[in-house]
Amino acid sequence: MAAPPATDRPSDAELVARWAGEPAPLLPLLHAFHERDGVLTDDAIRRVAAALRIPLAELYGTVTFYHFFEREQPGRARPRVCDGPVCRRRGSAELLAALGHHGAEPMPCAGRCDEPIPVLVGDQQLVGARDGELRDLPTPLPPKLSDDRLPGWRECVFRHIRTEGRAALAGYRATGGYAALFRAIAMAPAEIVDVIAQSGLAGRGGAGFPTGVKWRLVAEAEGGPKSIVCNADEGEPGCFKDRALMDHDPHAVLEGMAIAGRATGAARGIIYLRYEYPHTLRVLEKAIREAERDGLLGERILGSEFSFRIHVRRGAGAYICGEETSLLESLEGRRPWPRNKPPYPVTHGFEGLPTVVNNVETLASVPPILLEGADWYRGLGLGDHAGTKVVSVSGDVQRPGNYEVPIGLPLRTLLQDCAGGALPGRRIVAVTQAGLSGGFLAGADLDVTLDEPALRAKGSFLGAAGLIVFDDSRDMVAVAADGIEFFAHESCGKCFPCRIGTTRLTERLTGSDGPLDLDEWRSEVEDICATMKATSACGLGLAAPLIVESLLRSFPDDVRAHVEGPAIET
Amino acid sequence: MTIDGQKVDFAPGETIYEVARRLDRDVPTLCYDPRLEPFGACRLCVVEIEGQARPVASCTTKATAGMVVRTVTDALEAHRRTLLELVISENRDSGDAFGAGTPAHVDPLRGASSQELSTLAARYRVRPGRHAGAHSGHSRRDDDNPFILRDYDLCISCYRCVRVCDEREGDHAIHVGGRGFESRILTEFEGHLADSSCTFCGQCVQTCPTGALADKKALRAVDLPGELTKTRTICPYCGVGCSVDIVTKGDRMVAVQPAFDGPANEGALCVKGQFAWDHVQHDERLRTPLVRGADGVQRPATWDEALDRAADGFRRAAAEHGAKAVYAIASGRAPHESAYTIQKFIRAGFGTNYIDNCSRA
Ligand SMILES: Cc1cc2nc3c(=O)[nH]c(=O)nc-3n(C[C@H](O)[C@H](O)[C@H](O)COP(=O)(O)O)c2cc1C
Ligand code: SF4
Ligand code: SF4
Ligand code: SF4
Ligand code: FES
Repeated sequence: MAAPPATDRPSDAELVARWAGEPAPLLPLLHAFHERDGVLTDDAIRRVAAALRIPLAELYGTVTFYHFFEREQPGRARPRVCDGPVCRRRGSAELLAALGHHGAEPMPCAGRCDEPIPVLVGDQQLVGARDGELRDLPTPLPPKLSDDRLPGWRECVFRHIRTEGRAALAGYRATGGYAALFRAIAMAPAEIVDVIAQSGLAGRGGAGFPTGVKWRLVAEAEGGPKSIVCNADEGEPGCFKDRALMDHDPHAVLEGMAIAGRATGAARGIIYLRYEYPHTLRVLEKAIREAERDGLLGERILGSEFSFRIHVRRGAGAYICGEETSLLESLEGRRPWPRNKPPYPVTHGFEGLPTVVNNVETLASVPPILLEGADWYRGLGLGDHAGTKVVSVSGDVQRPGNYEVPIGLPLRTLLQDCAGGALPGRRIVAVTQAGLSGGFLAGADLDVTLDEPALRAKGSFLGAAGLIVFDDSRDMVAVAADGIEFFAHESCGKCFPCRIGTTRLTERLTGSDGPLDLDEWRSEVEDICATMKATSACGLGLAAPLIVESLLRSFPDDVRAHVEGPAIET
Repeated sequence: MTIDGQKVDFAPGETIYEVARRLDRDVPTLCYDPRLEPFGACRLCVVEIEGQARPVASCTTKATAGMVVRTVTDALEAHRRTLLELVISENRDSGDAFGAGTPAHVDPLRGASSQELSTLAARYRVRPGRHAGAHSGHSRRDDDNPFILRDYDLCISCYRCVRVCDEREGDHAIHVGGRGFESRILTEFEGHLADSSCTFCGQCVQTCPTGALADKKALRAVDLPGELTKTRTICPYCGVGCSVDIVTKGDRMVAVQPAFDGPANEGALCVKGQFAWDHVQHDERLRTPLVRGADGVQRPATWDEALDRAADGFRRAAAEHGAKAVYAIASGRAPHESAYTIQKFIRAGFGTNYIDNCSRA
């Protein structure tokens, strides 16, 4: 990509003036220089350090933490090809080779596993084929299921998403959009919190913390200004639901944030969006402009006392920035190591003040719940389970895609009735949970319902609900190796068990190092997994061993062949 | 709260680690330095709390009423051993020019805390070769500053150096680059310390638990025979009064290390107190007195001759111009005993307080 002509080129001073006074200025200021120059030059880093009073060594170190800040040519023009667990099995290596003359490099799962292979070139979000052909395709809509496949289930966040024009304000309002915000403004904040609490809505970003409890803690916390942070980092491989929600229903997320602000007394919202979604960035920015223009966001919304502004901040490539405290560190301009907890963000969040951090899907669930009531939402689940969950299904199935299903649904029903089952002539042998973080289930463990208690009983968890399906053509040792390699690549490096453990496990699963004797191999691997699960400082290191443990549990013969086999894989 | 069956009171804000420490529980740590904010990297300090599913890092967890804590269990000790085996596995033997340092043996000349890892490795009977794999950290032999060896082959990413530089010195000269296993300690743009805001106070060296950061001047004495001995004194360079240990090997002074229990400095020093001691054993130091002849040239003399000559001069000056014509300035490079003597000489000998010390500047 050629640099823009010199005359259009904003000066350093203009860039600094644009951002230095804004909330969470570091990332947008770095992006502004990065976009202007195509790379982050030494001069730009010096300039930003001086403007934001960040020590130069610290800022330089922080810049090198992120994957996407380019320091060398071809810079931002360098194609990035998704190398995630699904795309690897759909030809990402060939595509990378085909784009090699442009300096292409791999990137971790870029959140389009339902229609591989995502490629990022500058700010274009493209889809590539094995042979190198690149196309600009819209984010797939969630597949519509015919009623006979949906025996009485109803959707919540997806119920209007397929309506033509829903992404624009007019279309959103034509299908009941912002009615929930009107209602929220008329309600007492504590009443809103009650409805959300009674609905049983729990975090859809991974940890499953009850949303009503979180909001109440923030509403009751001392100090301010308070913030609502929407976690749109969606870095978990195999998860692409937040992207679909934001691209096709951005106002639902904005409305959910504003209602959260009203409920907790926050006037400031920040969306932390992963770098890999530049198209989504444009969608969100447009939606915010539309809503502000119509007085639905901004000062004194609809003439009431309630004001709420939303800012979008773009990440720079780091899975750990989805972890809520790492995300806050990133916003605050520091090296995004997770914080020690407690205290939690509800009291010590953005800039040390009370903060709601909620996932995109959690927030998008709020407007329908407020309109239809807590009982309606509870009733969407099966049995004792409240509500729905969007599940991203990818890999070896007939119809990959995002499916909003009742919590408590049998996994096999989802795989068969929604995703269409195995590919012709194939048999499904393993399904990951929570993207890669939950490890995989195989054999009899596939007879499970999709809810936290059932999945935890099997040593896994639902989390953000990304299911990657593998059939009998797949090498499960390689699948586990890809998984742990991802965690090694994304480990922030703060704590010893994860920083070293993920690397040692990767070496043992790729066969590049480690004992050749099976018992010794198992003993090392089991010790490392146990210590990581017990002592890691954050969820990444706590969950990373699950994929390795699931391999040992479900595929012991494959492990034996891998360790004792004749050749070391290359 | 209860720790290992013992009931104990705690002050609000105290961490479990601090309480355990008061009870003389020997909870292992590597990333901990009592002067720094709790960080929680090494996870060796994990303890079990009744009712909690997973162990917690005691250095970052505050004590609360009713907590029942165990600092030693079979499971905790097994995790600690695995953690130490992992951290030893990432180190490369440091075959640097000074010939010192393997993960298990690091020359104590490297720095005041340099034995922490090797001591714990021995305590937990770390099995060499377990969890073998890639090494992390790359020594910066290209950094030719005269004071600090950046031997990152031995680095274990505890970030004590970075934190002491930020939190205690306020120099912000170094930070962490990259991430995960590739995390590394660097200055801006990966340059040399001399081109950064480093003041060469040596704080990073003295808190480093592995000897990855080492005192280059001390390492000149690696091959000297003899045991290391430490003698406690106070730095004479300025009025702060930092406590230091003079490290000697045989009859040679080989290093200065800060005293962590020094009331004025709590282990801190500046570049002068830390590194500026070569004059003590410098070849060009006078070993015999010199007196100036009538021709203006200095010639060796006996002590009696020299002292008589000096005394005459002082007496004459005082007789001709009064006692206030004599003014003494003691040198910061001389020991405190000399400074004491010279002020006694002026105050008792001339009855004035025309005395000063260059360290006051
Ligand atoms: C390594 C790691 C990555 C995470 N990534 C995300 C993410 O991309 N999006 C997200 O919403 N939550 C993510 N989480 C969970 C967040 O920490 C947090 O629990 C969540 O954003 C809270 O929102 P919720 O309660 O609405 O789910 C991640 C957690 C960990 C440990
Ligand atoms: S578990 Fe991993 S990602 Fe989390 S703090 Fe530790 S090193 Fe960082
Ligand atoms: S150089 Fe020493 S103090 Fe600094 S991170 Fe490495 S081991 Fe820790
Ligand atoms: S000269 Fe430096 S080391 Fe010596 S007392 Fe003063 S501050 Fe401390
Ligand atoms: S001393 Fe607590 S984690 Fe290192």
